[in-house]
Amino acid sequence: MTSQRPEVDPRGPRFGAGITAVLLLVVVALALGTAGDPPQTVAARAAEPAFVLLTVLAALFAWGAFAGIARHPYAWLFRRFVRPRLAPPAELENAAPPTFAQGVGLAVSVAGLILHLAGVPYGLVGAASAAFVAAFLNAVFAYCLGCQFYLLLVRARVLRLG
Amino acid sequence: MALPQTALALVALVAFATLLGLGWRWQNGRGRATSGIHSVSAVEVGTPLGRRATLLQFSSELCAPCRSTHAVLASLAADSHDVVHVDVDVATSEALTRRFNVLQTPTTLVLDHRGVVRARIGGGARPDEVRARIAALTLAEERS
Repeated sequence: MTSQRPEVDPRGPRFGAGITAVLLLVVVALALGTAGDPPQTVAARAAEPAFVLLTVLAALFAWGAFAGIARHPYAWLFRRFVRPRLAPPAELENAAPPTFAQGVGLAVSVAGLILHLAGVPYGLVGAASAAFVAAFLNAVFAYCLGCQFYLLLVRARVLRLG
Repeated sequence: MALPQTALALVALVAFATLLGLGWRWQNGRGRATSGIHSVSAVEVGTPLGRRATLLQFSSELCAPCRSTHAVLASLAADSHDVVHVDVDVATSEALTRRFNVLQTPTTLVLDHRGVVRARIGGGARPDEVRARIAALTLAEERS
């Protein structure tokens, strides 16, 4: 275990994804109210609860993406309150995939925030729903949708080189 | 949007995500027979092919299930002198990745002794599934 390839208990990121999924569902619920007919001014749109909560979630994604998944607040919650109650992990996993997935979550959230500020109907709902599906699949099925994007990015570069 | 409609939309979203997950779990690690028109040479994989089978695994750096699949396939290869396991990175093996249109990692191709692609397994490999594919391969060779 070196500092270059930190390893994490795979259940940690899934626990975090579970919290994120619930909060994203709250964002969708809050956003649906005015999604079809956003407020007229940018300030009014930025003051909406859904926008505020998604901004907080985007900041948490940024924390995970830039500081690393192991330094995320949810990782601390997991280590402090959840892991002591669980059996030791069957195996550790590389921290890079879930950290990259946090970056994908950040990009999708920021896209939703920008669309909402621009007054695009259902922009925030669409982005939050997409992020919810990814977080839900990660939490419930251990499927890392964000990691698939990494492969597509590699493929795109491969195709350009070819 | 009225409260019942909001609740309905949320339930639909959760149901959609659940169906996606169940669909993914159903197909994950399940192999399918391939047409047998594509083949890979020993030069391309960089190692002599197995006398019975070669398990050609495509991995990527940011892929947690690739490691468990590597362990599964490596142990199958270690158990049999006739089976070879090769793990290639999609970022460096561009030609193979493009030729077989690898869109998810891990993806495993089961090659026969001539390098003909006999089966393709998308997602984390299940030992029983891989063993069955190798066994089917052996039978096919014996029949011909």
